[in-house]
Amino acid sequence: MAEVARKRRVLVVEDEDNIAIALDYLMTREGYDHDRIANGAEAMDRIRTTHPDLVLLDVMLPEVSGYEICQGVRLDPDLADVKILMMTARGSAIERRKGLALGADGFISKPFELQELRQEVRRLLGAAS
Amino acid sequence: MLNRLSLRVRIFLFFAALAVGALIALGVGLTLGYRRLGSPETLDAFVQGGVVAAFAIVGLVAWVWYLFDVNVAKPIDILAGALRARAHADVTGEMNAAIARYLGDLAPAATAAAASLSETRNALAEAVARETTRLTDEKARLEALLSDVPVGVLLCSGDHALAFYNGQAVDLIGAGSAAPGLDRQVFDYLRQGPIQLAHERLMATGDPDAASDLLCTTVNGARVMAARMRLMGGDNGAIPGYVLTLRDVTADMASQARREALLAEVFDRVRRPAANLATLIEVIPEGSAAPGRLDTALREEVLQLAQAVTELSRRHDESRDDGWPLTMTRDFDLLEGLRARIEADGLGVTTTAADLLLRCNGFEIIALISGLAEEMGKQGLARDFDLQVQEDGTGGLIRLIWAGASLPMALLDQWLERPLEPGLSDVARRSVLAMHATEIWPETLPDGRYCLCLPIPQARRVVRRPAPIARAVVYDFDLLSKARNAKVQDARLDDLTYVVFDTETTGLLPAQGDEIVQIAAVRIVNGRRVDGEVFDTLVNPRRPIPLSSTEVHGITEAMVQDAPFVEEVAARFHKFAEGAVLIAHNAPFDMEFLRRLEPKLGLRFDHPVLDTVLLSAVVYGQHEVHSLDALTHRLGITIPEEARHTAIGDTVATADAFLKLMPMLAGLGLQTFGEVVGEVRRHGRLLKDLN
Repeated sequence: MAEVARKRRVLVVEDEDNIAIALDYLMTREGYDHDRIANGAEAMDRIRTTHPDLVLLDVMLPEVSGYEICQGVRLDPDLADVKILMMTARGSAIERRKGLALGADGFISKPFELQELRQEVRRLLGAAS
Repeated sequence: MLNRLSLRVRIFLFFAALAVGALIALGVGLTLGYRRLGSPETLDAFVQGGVVAAFAIVGLVAWVWYLFDVNVAKPIDILAGALRARAHADVTGEMNAAIARYLGDLAPAATAAAASLSETRNALAEAVARETTRLTDEKARLEALLSDVPVGVLLCSGDHALAFYNGQAVDLIGAGSAAPGLDRQVFDYLRQGPIQLAHERLMATGDPDAASDLLCTTVNGARVMAARMRLMGGDNGAIPGYVLTLRDVTADMASQARREALLAEVFDRVRRPAANLATLIEVIPEGSAAPGRLDTALREEVLQLAQAVTELSRRHDESRDDGWPLTMTRDFDLLEGLRARIEADGLGVTTTAADLLLRCNGFEIIALISGLAEEMGKQGLARDFDLQVQEDGTGGLIRLIWAGASLPMALLDQWLERPLEPGLSDVARRSVLAMHATEIWPETLPDGRYCLCLPIPQARRVVRRPAPIARAVVYDFDLLSKARNAKVQDARLDDLTYVVFDTETTGLLPAQGDEIVQIAAVRIVNGRRVDGEVFDTLVNPRRPIPLSSTEVHGITEAMVQDAPFVEEVAARFHKFAEGAVLIAHNAPFDMEFLRRLEPKLGLRFDHPVLDTVLLSAVVYGQHEVHSLDALTHRLGITIPEEARHTAIGDTVATADAFLKLMPMLAGLGLQTFGEVVGEVRRHGRLLKDLN
């Protein structure tokens, strides 16, 4: 009997509402089960409780930076299969390197092309499956 | 009149007069005898006897003259030349007494006099040498200090002639053929207006300690420099000279201008789409969707704004490379500084360098990493560290490694917000990262240890570079008080500036297409060869170099393949020789090659010329050999074998020979250039004088 495909779960950690709206629109259109959280300080708890397949993680968050969350996820063995796609408005090569060094699976610069983001998300979720 | 003739000519004239006198006496005697005898038939006998006697007398006198010339006059000339060389040119060594063996005790006496002079001179020289060594050491230390001053320094006389410059000044106002030269006008290198005005301004103050800041610009390349002028000297009513310190601000100004331009562009490119967006939003009724054309316009404006901000941000990041405090720092020095700071906090550290030069502000990087190590020590995360620098693409990577607990990003971020140094409350550690356009983060190593990674975006390997051009200082302080004579003819020899040169060529016949393959020249200023002012360049002759020529000078076609053509080199040489007397050994040969280029260059090589072949003839007489080898041998100058027949080797040898000939000419009473040229013309049959 064929297994019914489970909807992929994506957690968007983004404090800017307008970007969050755009991401919400895209995730819905792509058919992902998604949720959004604006506060970095609550992000770790939410990731632990919901165990998403992918975290779209903004670097510049109030209180707790995206880098810190990324490191926290990677240091937690229970979250080893959670993919992290970091997003930043600055997007310099050194930030990308830092993100990847801390355990991110991908890095995308804002403003991003929707097509590029869609492909990156599909790539990571494909790898997760 | 007779005094002007050489000894050998005078002796010849003496013997000629003796022969003529004897012939006259013979004629008078025979005439008297014939008349007294009163016998006409004996006339033939008297005439025959007279002719035979006349030939005998002339032959005898000529024979005695020849013996006298070879064994007395010529040896006296040679002995005089040798004595003069020892008296005026510090030549030492045995004199050849055998050549004057018929002069009785004169040769041994001259040898003894020369030996005595040499001994006295040696004793004096030893005493002087001891004192000179001390002064030379002090001078060397001062020169080292002055050559290390990080700004360009020029010292000029009251009439703006250069008397001193250091290596930094060469870098700033021109290198290569445009390099500064002693006794040249500073205005050959820097534009006249600001310097002259500052000089006049300072003189008008009457304050010997006054200084004036000015902005001056190089004549070539329009490099802008910040300068400071301070007067010096000027005693005895003379126009005071001045010290000019130079600092290049072109790069600062260009960097500042680029930043200003970028900022202006930021406002321009952000303001317009922002205003357009505001206008577009205004016309869309609130709560309703934007109609088609307005929607397109909105999208275009948003896209344009986003692209502009992204691109401007990238350019701003790139422009941070202009940052002033970032210099190339040796990783070993950086690690040593870090080790000292970390150990001072009671922590242990080992270091591993990678022979890299890192472009960074060493003080800030040391403060940042040692500060973080100290925080980790206080936090109990680690007490012993391993510090490593490794190559990382086009940059370097500094890694602070420890074993124990990992470092949470939250803690690191917290530490980065703290002051870099206790006294610098407004400079956070994070600002060091921004200044270096980098980031820092913790990583876990495969062996289970942890490390903090700090990439430095720009670095290069420390390589053994070719010996750097000596940044020696070049000076002659006598130039500050040198009296100048407007006319070369009336100038004393040691007051003139000379350019001694030599060429190597494809052959000996310029008229048949032979060309120059190398020109070398040195400058003599104030009676001293200036070590740092050398012209030495190969020339592409646009034609093959015969093997026979290569065997002489060692220059092959491959060596000149990428060399500049003769027109460019000759023009640069003309500039190098500006205002100087040209000197060469066998000057007509070299000058012929140069003067053939005059129509092409639009320049005239009409400098006054001296030829060391002719000067040697003036000093030693024409009977001597005047090749460069023979002349330098007589003057006790050694040409290293590897330098012989190279243009620069022969040039230096010619220059040194001239410097030794100069006092010998003065010893002959030839003090001025005009007097020397007048004497040289007497040797015109040896070589043509070119003046």
